[in-house]
Amino acid sequence: MTIYLDHNAGAPVRPQVRAAIERFLDDEGGNPSSVHRAGQRARRALERARASVARLIRAEPRRIVFTSGGTESNNLAIFGAAKAHRARRRIVSSAIEHSSVLAPLSELESSGFEIVRVMPGRDGRIAPGRIVEAIDRNTALVTLAMANAEVGTLQELAPVGTAAREAGALFHVDAAQAAGRVRIAVDELGCDLMTLSGHKLGAPAGIGALYVREPARLAPLTVGGAQEGGLRAGTQNLLGAVAFGAAAETVEREFERETARLAALAERLLARLTDAIPGLRLNGPRAGRIANTLNLAFPGVLGESLLIALDLEGVQVSMGSACAAGAVEPSHVLLAMGLSAAEARSSLRLSLGWNTTDEDVERASEIIVRVWRRVAESEPAPRSEAAEAVR
Amino acid sequence: MSVRILVAMSGGVDSSVAAALLRERGYDVVGVAMRLAPEAPGSIARRRATCCSHDDFEDARRVAERMNFPFYVVDLREDFAVRVIRNFVNEYLDGRTPNPCVMCNREIKFDRLWSRARALGADFVATGHYARIERGADGRYRLMRAADSTKDQSYFLFTLGQAELSRTLFPLGAMTKAEVRARARELGLANADKPESQEICFVADGDYARFVERAAARERIRPGRVVDPQGKVLAKHAGMHRFTIGQRRGLGIAAGEPLYVREIRPESGDVVVASREALRCAGLVANRVNLVDPELCRDGAVEVEAKIRYRHPALPAVLSMDGAERAELRFRSPAPAVTPGQACVFYRGDEVVGGGFIERAIEG
Repeated sequence: MTIYLDHNAGAPVRPQVRAAIERFLDDEGGNPSSVHRAGQRARRALERARASVARLIRAEPRRIVFTSGGTESNNLAIFGAAKAHRARRRIVSSAIEHSSVLAPLSELESSGFEIVRVMPGRDGRIAPGRIVEAIDRNTALVTLAMANAEVGTLQELAPVGTAAREAGALFHVDAAQAAGRVRIAVDELGCDLMTLSGHKLGAPAGIGALYVREPARLAPLTVGGAQEGGLRAGTQNLLGAVAFGAAAETVEREFERETARLAALAERLLARLTDAIPGLRLNGPRAGRIANTLNLAFPGVLGESLLIALDLEGVQVSMGSACAAGAVEPSHVLLAMGLSAAEARSSLRLSLGWNTTDEDVERASEIIVRVWRRVAESEPAPRSEAAEAVR
Repeated sequence: MSVRILVAMSGGVDSSVAAALLRERGYDVVGVAMRLAPEAPGSIARRRATCCSHDDFEDARRVAERMNFPFYVVDLREDFAVRVIRNFVNEYLDGRTPNPCVMCNREIKFDRLWSRARALGADFVATGHYARIERGADGRYRLMRAADSTKDQSYFLFTLGQAELSRTLFPLGAMTKAEVRARARELGLANADKPESQEICFVADGDYARFVERAAARERIRPGRVVDPQGKVLAKHAGMHRFTIGQRRGLGIAAGEPLYVREIRPESGDVVVASREALRCAGLVANRVNLVDPELCRDGAVEVEAKIRYRHPALPAVLSMDGAERAELRFRSPAPAVTPGQACVFYRGDEVVGGGFIERAIEG
């Protein structure tokens, strides 16, 4: 029996999604672009899914472009905006974005774009004023995550949306982690582009979406087909879209109850751990974050060791991001927030989600405390680092 | 709950088969590959700005997938840099010839990794070394040569004490290399025919001198003179770290008879060269000695066979301890190329009874 506390990396497929996939497979397949009736049925399923996904962020369905996932959506938003606005050469972002944002920005930087990466405060919050200051008439794009994947900090985005509009810049919001966890309305944020990820919501991996307010202001990265309003050529992943639609409907239907439930569970987990582990610290703000995410600095241990030990005891959590070889690296987000390398190395992320139960939280807190003690005794983090980690 | 064993996996065939055999016997195997070496500048990994993409780790991971046990890559680069690489560089700078594999076993595999094993709730650490551990009727653990004498790696393991031996497993100790490869093929392991690694893992191109020069502060490089035993200057050299005892090439001199490095004098920076015959020594002094059998020298000097380099045959000698960690060794007949910094390992028959690091040769 394992306890999965890594929903920010990807949620298990929800039962409602599984049922929708089975219903879909029982019908005949088809290509939504075909003229015949199989094609028409496929198209109806696709458009229903599109409407469900749009509903989640209070957008018009025709503004939703299906992609292969959050990474592709971020790439399309950034490269697509840069390509469509050749005259403007500045992009404003932050230092704590996901790698699927940071890597495209670095690539544009090496081809001559000026990239502004605003640093966060110690709580992971990016001062909206700092972003607004950086936006000028040369700015093609502002790109920010609504909720940080690693510490869960929610950013204040409305002032950014206003400033971007005034400057004529596009505003892209990566909502892969925020969607389903806080209410989102694209018009209130004033954003032009928004990334969504299917498997963070309980659909299988391989499906995502990009909200595009004005298709004319974005250039496609793949061409050779008229699908998705010409912004993403290629036959759609219909099965994925159906699954994504079912996940979005479920999230929407259960939103109030589920967010309250998860907030209570996360609070209880934090309280249990804080009581039993002297010196444990929550990275990120106490309030103003997605409630399911707990990024914790465990005193006196290496996060890498604790993560593996927990996995062997059936508790699955994460640390920063995995490198190509599969080793874990200290989180760039924590480092940007001003934590020392030692503190970052002692930190793990626990993220709860739809299948997390009361019993999971009780068992997980018992196991984490027990395993933390064993790791701290057997393999104490190097002395100077340990001292620093409990500071 | 079955016994949990942490297996150090390199991606090579030996550690893969070691892990697979333990898994077959029903143990709770946890595979671990260690990131040890720093990335080489300009490597593909660096250019792509990712941390690493070692094929070796992928080979190990595939074995774990095939044999169905958990596998993790752990990052021990800092420990390796401080405890192995720094020592390697300093030894060369001080005119000695280090053996980083011995150091890695002592500091990383059987120390640092063991604390990780305990943290993970493991009862044993296993590796793919060719050596055997036996437990006598008296309860004492004995470190033995491998059954395959051509692959025997017991030389690298002399630093293990009773505590380490009691919780270490060498599943390949009774097998030949050919048997290991055959077993790997039977098990369908993709790396069954993978060639052996030869070079020191963190010096990919094998150029130790250049590695030392890159790692060391310029003022620590010690140039000096190449002299003959009478003190006559034959040449200048650019750094003591470029020499090892018994070295013939790269001396920068053209003499009638072949000359070999006989001694490196760290105080003056002089490298003494001499004819082959003059390399022979009566004995040596070793420091940081570990007696695998703690009782070995209780009654004074003992007869042993000593290996002063991995690929050298063991030579008959008399061992006497001088305190707890220093030993004097006298060869039955003079031995060539006693090299400070190298390990000197004491055998009695097939048993490793101890070993230490060569501090200096005893002339005569």
